Amino acid sequence: MITVTGLRKTFGDIVAVNNVSFAAENGRVTGLLGPNGAGKSTTLRVLYGLLKPDSGEASVDGIDIVENRIEAQQKIGVLPDSHGLYLRLTAREHIFYFARLQNIDGDRLEANADRLIRLLDMQGIADRRVEGFSQGERMKVCLARALIHDPPNVLLDEPTNGLDVMTTRKVREMIQELRKRDINVLFSSHLMHEVARLCDHIVIISAGQVVAHGTTEQISEAAGEDNLEEAFVKLVEKVVP
Amino acid sequence: MSHPIIVVLRKELLDGGRDRRALMSAFLFPFFAPLFVYFMLTAIINLQSDAQAVTIPIQGSQFAPDFVQWLEERDVTTEVFDGDAREVILEKDRELVVIIPEDYQQRMRDLKTIPIQVVSDGARTDSQPTVARIRRLIAEYNQELSSLRLIARGIDPEVSRTVIVQSIDVASKEQITARALNFIPLYVILAAFVCGMGLAVDSTAGERERKSLEALLINPVQRYQVVMGKWFASSFFATIGMTLTLVLCIAAMLQVPLHEIGLDFHIQAHQIVLMFLATMPLAFLATSMQLLLGIFAKSFKDAQSYIGILTILPVVPSLYSMFNPLPLQNWMFGVPMLGQHLLLVEVLGAKTVPIAGYLASGLSCFLLGMVFVLVTARLVERESIISG
Repeated sequence: MITVTGLRKTFGDIVAVNNVSFAAENGRVTGLLGPNGAGKSTTLRVLYGLLKPDSGEASVDGIDIVENRIEAQQKIGVLPDSHGLYLRLTAREHIFYFARLQNIDGDRLEANADRLIRLLDMQGIADRRVEGFSQGERMKVCLARALIHDPPNVLLDEPTNGLDVMTTRKVREMIQELRKRDINVLFSSHLMHEVARLCDHIVIISAGQVVAHGTTEQISEAAGEDNLEEAFVKLVEKVVP
Repeated sequence: MSHPIIVVLRKELLDGGRDRRALMSAFLFPFFAPLFVYFMLTAIINLQSDAQAVTIPIQGSQFAPDFVQWLEERDVTTEVFDGDAREVILEKDRELVVIIPEDYQQRMRDLKTIPIQVVSDGARTDSQPTVARIRRLIAEYNQELSSLRLIARGIDPEVSRTVIVQSIDVASKEQITARALNFIPLYVILAAFVCGMGLAVDSTAGERERKSLEALLINPVQRYQVVMGKWFASSFFATIGMTLTLVLCIAAMLQVPLHEIGLDFHIQAHQIVLMFLATMPLAFLATSMQLLLGIFAKSFKDAQSYIGILTILPVVPSLYSMFNPLPLQNWMFGVPMLGQHLLLVEVLGAKTVPIAGYLASGLSCFLLGMVFVLVTARLVERESIISG
């Protein structure tokens, strides 16, 4: 469970996020939908503890992310905006490194790693160095290291960006799987069809503000349009002159 | 369950240990430095001992048997030469030829000046020490004979000597060795800065450049723990580099034929251990500075240009004390880099340094390194570290 209340974040004169509030609940997939530069990544970065908000609150399972960063970070698994890897380490070594930083080791680590490697179809690449991995293979490594500690909340920043159809489907399967396990999934995207297809709850952000939230139907209804795309464009144009 | 510092340390050692290019550039130095020490010292010794050992060809030695005997009494080996002096020198058969005139005895009896020719090739630097030596000997011989001639006329030889030069070299042979040994501390201190650099830069600027820092910082770990893990990993590399440089330099010194110039170089195991203890803290200081500069830089190249300047720093105290030897004072041990240099020189010179000296130099390095690490951790806390 993630709750965001009145979040505001500025960089100098630029207001990146302004009075954003929403909640992402367990067993539900929440989509943060917005055009490029709307403030999606900034919101997520506040949630995973890399940016401090100017005002407002953000909490993970009731733990304030600013007050208790480390405790809150133990409750989340994150696929961040940047997908940098250590080229000289293997996929499995990446997973193990992040697991140990999450204080997971021993049998539990071995079991979790094997399960994720199977789930993401990584058996063939698990013990290869990541140098020379395709974008899809890199994404799998990033996903695996984000999920190795069984986090109750999963934050994914544009998880299907630049992936081929096969890997995109794998990521979608993964998200469905997480929802089934009653995990809270919050992901950001600018892809309409993806959000419409996967999300139970949608939060539309534009120019740093929440312009609508609810199910696909609720949003379409509120905008007085038949489909999500038309509704999205209409809502976004309201705040961006 | 492992401590986060250990987790980061293990990962960086694994990653750094696989970075062949960085390893090569780091560990070339410990092998290169001793070779330099060996070849330079050997060359100096050869120049000196050549001048001692050479055989002097003398043309017309039969005209002046007393002079030849005088030379031989002064450890000069002579040989009878019969040929064209200019030709053998131009063909580099001989370094020089001394020519004694046929009328040596006649001129001696007539109390006339006797010209003794020293034929040599002024363009050949290698024969200069020998030529200088033989000139010195001839001048000395002249002095002796002149004195005898004056005494024969009842004149005090002092009358003819208005001013004379007296060279007093106070350097003992051990001190000359110690000066030659000054190169070892210099190289060992440099090794601290060279050998850990690759890993320090790769784990800071490199981590930013390949955009892996954001994912790393999302983990529930204190920032200073991340930086300290990286610090210990690069310090480990630097320590190995320093130890290798130290041991190989000493091995090279033992191979140099110092005995040929009448010098001795002994080293005992405990001295090597003391030198290791004296220099190890410097590895921690060197890498902490590199981490700080590395996290400032946005890319590997950017960092290398800053750190290139940093590498001049450790040489300053060593070079300064090589050219301006200061009287040793206790506070000097507490100055990072200078302290290590002095400790090494003292231990190599078989002198005893009180434990306080080791503590002062070690603590000053380690604490200053700690300050740099904490500043680095503060920089990692900044939000701009991930946005670019």
